[in-house]
Amino acid sequence: MRVLLVEDEARLADNLAAALRDGPGLAVDWAADGESGDDAARNLCYDLVILDLMLPRLDGLSLLRRMRARKDSTPVLILTAKEGKDAIVQLLNAGADDYLAKPFDLGELIARAKALIRRGKGAAHPTLRALDIELNTLEQTVRRGGVLVDLSPTEYHILEYLLHHPRKIVSKEELLEHLYDYNWEHHSNVIEAHVSNLRKKLDAAVPGAEPIIETQRGRGYRLSPEPSS
Amino acid sequence: MRRRSSIAFRLIATVLLVEVASAVLVILLAWGYERHSHFRSFDIMLRGRADSVLGAVQDAEDLGDNVMLDLADLHVPPEDFYEVWDGRGHLLGRSPNWPGSAGLEVPTRNGVFRFTFRNHGYRLLRLQGSRIVDPGEPGGGHLRFVTILYGSPTEHVWRAVYGAVEFYAVGMLLLVLITGPLIAWVLHRGLEPLRQLAALAANVSADSWDFSPPASARETAELAPLTGALESVLQRLERSFNQQRTFVSDAAHELKTAVAVVKSSLQLVGMRQRTPEEYQAGYERAIADTERIEDLVAKMLTLARYENTAAAASGSGCNLNQCVRQAVSELETFAERHNIEIAVRELPPDPCSISLSAEDCAMVVGNLLMNAIQHSPPQSQVEIHVRAEAGSIEFTVQDHGEGIDSSVLPHVFERFYRGDPSRARETGGSGLGLAICKAAVERVGGSITLASSPGTGTVATVRLRAS
Repeated sequence: MRVLLVEDEARLADNLAAALRDGPGLAVDWAADGESGDDAARNLCYDLVILDLMLPRLDGLSLLRRMRARKDSTPVLILTAKEGKDAIVQLLNAGADDYLAKPFDLGELIARAKALIRRGKGAAHPTLRALDIELNTLEQTVRRGGVLVDLSPTEYHILEYLLHHPRKIVSKEELLEHLYDYNWEHHSNVIEAHVSNLRKKLDAAVPGAEPIIETQRGRGYRLSPEPSS
Repeated sequence: MRRRSSIAFRLIATVLLVEVASAVLVILLAWGYERHSHFRSFDIMLRGRADSVLGAVQDAEDLGDNVMLDLADLHVPPEDFYEVWDGRGHLLGRSPNWPGSAGLEVPTRNGVFRFTFRNHGYRLLRLQGSRIVDPGEPGGGHLRFVTILYGSPTEHVWRAVYGAVEFYAVGMLLLVLITGPLIAWVLHRGLEPLRQLAALAANVSADSWDFSPPASARETAELAPLTGALESVLQRLERSFNQQRTFVSDAAHELKTAVAVVKSSLQLVGMRQRTPEEYQAGYERAIADTERIEDLVAKMLTLARYENTAAAASGSGCNLNQCVRQAVSELETFAERHNIEIAVRELPPDPCSISLSAEDCAMVVGNLLMNAIQHSPPQSQVEIHVRAEAGSIEFTVQDHGEGIDSSVLPHVFERFYRGDPSRARETGGSGLGLAICKAAVERVGGSITLASSPGTGTVATVRLRAS
C-alpha cells in the first residue's frame, strides 16, 4: 500500500516515513508543501494521504477540498496542531476521514493509517479472507487452509493488495504504483518474479490445491474466483 | 453600595433647584410689592376718610365762633374709629368705638402710625386741618384748627396681600411639578443615542468585533467624538488581538510540531529491536531535535522580551564597526563551508557608536549575515556597508542570491513567516529571526527594511540613530 505524506517539517516527515515503511511496510512518498502534495495526489496511486494542516503555498484544508472537489475518494488522515471542536468539525465536514493532534503517538498513527487503508478498500476487519486464504494485517501473517505460509514483505503486500481487490484484474503497473514509492527503481519484471514466488509458496502450503492466483496474459493478475459448487 | 452618579439626575436636580429658588424669589418680591401697593392705597383711603371727618366739622353757630362735629352726614365703616380735637385742646367728638387712651398712645405729630389693639392691627392717621368759620364776615372769617385722629383695621389689607402671594406660590408650585417630569422625559429621550451606543459597544467581544454605530450617534455633536474614539480603539484592538491570536496559534503549531518531532524520533527508535549503532544514531537525532525546541523557545522569549520591554537606559550602546568585524570573524568558517566570501566594503574611519547594546547588535548583524549567506549561491559575495550620515548610521548587508518574490517581501518581518518554509526548515530557520531583528532595532528607534529584486539579490538595510 502506498501513502502520500504531505508535511513541511522535514524531520517529522523523515520519522513518519521511516515508521510507516518499517512497521506496516507501506510505500511512502513525501511532499513538502501543499502544491507539490496536490500534484502528487493527482496521480491517484495512493491508498492513503496523511496531510499536515499548516503547509506552505497551499494549506492542508484547501488541498483536501481540491481533492474532494475532483471526486478523489482516497482516505485522508489529517495531522493538526489546532485545538477545539470547531476546527475538527470543519475538517471532517471538508471530507477528512480521521485526524490526529500533534504531538501524536507513532503507534496510534500507524494503527489509524492501516485502519483507513482497510476501510478505503471496503474491509472492516483487520483479517482479510478469500477462498481458503486468511491474511492477518496486524500480525502480517498468511495462512492457507490453516497452514502458516512464510512470505517476504513484498509477496505479502502483493497478496494483501489482491485480497483487497477480489475478482478485479490487477495490472503489474497498478501493483508497482501501490507497492513502491518514488525511492525505488521499478521494473515490471520485479513484480513478475515476486508473483511467481508468492504463487509457489501458496500452492506448496496445501498439496494438490488449485492455483490461487490467475495470470491474465498482458492484463495482470487476479485471485481465482470462488470454486462454483 | 455606592449610588452611581447620573448626569440626567444631576441636570434635573439642578434645573428644579433653580426653579424653586426663582419661585421663592418671585414670591418674596411679589409679597413686598403687593404689601407696598396695598398699603399705599390703604393710606390714601385713610386720608380720604379723615378728610370726610374733617368735612363734618361745622361752625357751632354760637357766639364764640366755636366749631362742632356734625355726625349727621358722616358715613364711615363701623369698624373705623376717629377722634376730633380743636386747636384749643377741646375734644369735639369721637366715634363710639374709640379705644380710649388705655389702648392707644396718641401721636403728637402728623402722619400714619401703626398700632395693635385687642390683637388686631390698625393704622392710625393724625391729620391737622383747618376750617374757616363765618367766611362771609369781614376779614374773611375766623380760621379754626382741628386735629383729627382716624384709625382703621388693616386685617383685610393683609388678607389681600397674602391672597396675591398665595396665587404666585401656587402658580410656581404647579410650574415645578409640571416641568420636573417634562425635563426628565426630554432628557431620557435626548440620551437615547448614548444608550444605543452603549448597547452596541457592549455587544463587541473578542469573537465579534462588529461595531456599526447608528448615523444618529455620528451626527450628534456630543456623541461624535466618543463614537469616533470607540471605533478607532476597537479597530486597533481587533488588529492587535488578531495579530496576537495568529502569533499564539503559530507558536502553538511550531512548538507542537517540534515536540512531535522529538516524540516520533524516540518512538521510531523504540519500534523494534535495533543495533547499538542505530540506537546511538537515534539518540543523537533526538538530542538535535530537542535542541531545536530549546532554540525555538529561546527565540520566542527573546521576541517577547523585545516587544514587551522598553530599551535599557542610554549608555549601553556599542560600536557598530567593532560589532561588524566580530560578527564577520565568527561567521567566516560558516561562509567558507558554503563557499561564500564576506566582503566588508565600507567602514567609516571613526567608531560608529549606536544606541543598540553590544549583544543586540551582534544578534542583528549575525542574523542578517546568516540569512544572506544561506540565500547566496556558491562562489558569490555577501557585501557589508556601513555609512555614517548626519546623526544616523546606515548598515547594509547585500547578497547576490535568488532574491525574494515581491508577494513574499511584505511579510518577511512577520513572526513565523518563511519565504520558502521547507528550505528554511532545512537550514534550521524558525521564522523568527527577522521578527526579532525588527523588534530589537525598532526598540531603540531605528528601522530595518528589506529590498529585493528576484534574480539579482537582496539588500537588508538597518538605520540607527548615532549616539
